[in-house]
Amino acid sequence: MRVVDIAHGRSGDKGDTCNVGLVAWDDEGYRILRREVTEERVAAHFGDLVKGTVTRYEMPGIKALNFVLTRALDGGGTLSLRSDHLGKVMYAWLLRMEIEGPG
Amino acid sequence: MSRTVRLGAGMAFWGDSVRPAIEMVERGDIDYLCCDHLAELTMSILAKQRARNSSLGYTRDILDLLRGALPTCVEKGIKVVTNSGGANPRAAAEGVVALCKELGVSGVRVAVVTGDDIETDIDDLIGQGVDFANLDTGEPLSTVRDRLTHAAVYTGCEGIVEALRQGADIVICGRVTDIALYLGPLIHEFGWATDDWERLGMATVVAHAIECGGQATGGLYAGDWAGVDGLENLGYPIAEVAEDGTAVLTKTPASGGRVDVGTVSEQLVYEILDPANYLTADVTADFTGVTLEEVGLDRVRITGGTGKPAPQTLKVNMGYRAGFVGEAQFTYTWPDAWQKAQRGITFLKKRLERAGFEYTDEIIEYLGQTSMWGSRVPEPRDPDIPEIVVRYAARCPDQEQARKVFTESVALYNNGPAGVAGVGTRPPLKELYAIWPCLIPREHVRQSVELLEV
Repeated sequence: MRVVDIAHGRSGDKGDTCNVGLVAWDDEGYRILRREVTEERVAAHFGDLVKGTVTRYEMPGIKALNFVLTRALDGGGTLSLRSDHLGKVMYAWLLRMEIEGPG
Repeated sequence: MSRTVRLGAGMAFWGDSVRPAIEMVERGDIDYLCCDHLAELTMSILAKQRARNSSLGYTRDILDLLRGALPTCVEKGIKVVTNSGGANPRAAAEGVVALCKELGVSGVRVAVVTGDDIETDIDDLIGQGVDFANLDTGEPLSTVRDRLTHAAVYTGCEGIVEALRQGADIVICGRVTDIALYLGPLIHEFGWATDDWERLGMATVVAHAIECGGQATGGLYAGDWAGVDGLENLGYPIAEVAEDGTAVLTKTPASGGRVDVGTVSEQLVYEILDPANYLTADVTADFTGVTLEEVGLDRVRITGGTGKPAPQTLKVNMGYRAGFVGEAQFTYTWPDAWQKAQRGITFLKKRLERAGFEYTDEIIEYLGQTSMWGSRVPEPRDPDIPEIVVRYAARCPDQEQARKVFTESVALYNNGPAGVAGVGTRPPLKELYAIWPCLIPREHVRQSVELLEV
């Protein structure tokens, strides 16, 4: 399965930092997100799109994980040459990540 | 029933549609219309406008908004709080005063809140020991000092509170935080202490949820996006804030969109870093305990936010000129679209080299395949692919260099391989502004308020 099967998300920019928030649709989905979507796997999934670090934060009340990706926007929204200079669709790349399901 | 203050989010960025705000003041039964017009890049553009003409430098969409909303605001007593002053709040206020006269509206008190613009004080402040070192890299300001376009402190709500105390109907600010646009009215109405961190933190969560307008009400929704009706007529969000800082979030009645746990959750995670330490000029908010509950159709109760003392330093964003982008785009078609695209790219780069092209970075994207996720996606090498759109962009030191990219790409039409189209016409050159993030101890920043009366 993919992250998109259990969660939705949104991403944006702060300078050259991009954050990707994932929101699980239910408690079981949140449990799987916490288990599967680790900092290491997210870093590997973004590869050279993210040149800095990946830090994960938890917001259990809304079943959300927030990933902060540094040096992730080719210099930041005002400088970036990328078509997605504001990181608006970075969330969708994370929703595509393959994960293990319940169990 | 306990008292609530109803705050409406009227604008989310410079150029946002003004219609949702106008509909909100007509039908939303709000007390305050709070409008955020500024993004990181906006201040650089506005500073450039101000440099050319001292009556410019603010986001002129505030005039479009007020032209439609002001008569209703006056009639209903709705106050407007906005950071549309940008790099020139005084000029914005004068524009608003002129508009009031044109519309025949009188008795309106327009406040100007300043104190965020420290550009002319930088040397003094350095003399007083503020180093303005880059927050991300640690580099000294001298690296870019001669290229600065502006220097603005993300200021808090103190000036807004004072303006409202003096009876302002419209409060025009420069670079106050988006959050301050909401905290100011709440502190004024509820009389919260400015160190009531729990309430300020909770209210900051509420403000964050709605400050990007339609993004809280079904716009940009990744969840059940196909199930959201009426995006063309999206209602912007309204927070009914209680005295403890918690709120019910809703939207303009009889408008499109949706307010539910899904749409609000997505916005809560938008553009935040550490949710336990959401830094603003007024409070360090803690989002980690936030919970949402649907309490009616398009009504979501938001609780569980709290806060800690505000940081001792305020964030400063300075902008500096960072060259120009040279850009070209062209499309190659089947047969051999991939090979022809590669030949076209080689052609462009060899021609640029011959033209003495200077650049610092470049990017090649294949639109429709790799333009969003770059190397994470395979290149479009399928031999049967109907077309490949190539986008080439480079960061260049000046306009002369940037202009070469399009100039050298045009010859692809008759000197390169066949099967090319879509080279287009010469695009306007985009100037680049970089942000220099740094800090200033808060004791160096003082807001002031001036009242103009129509």
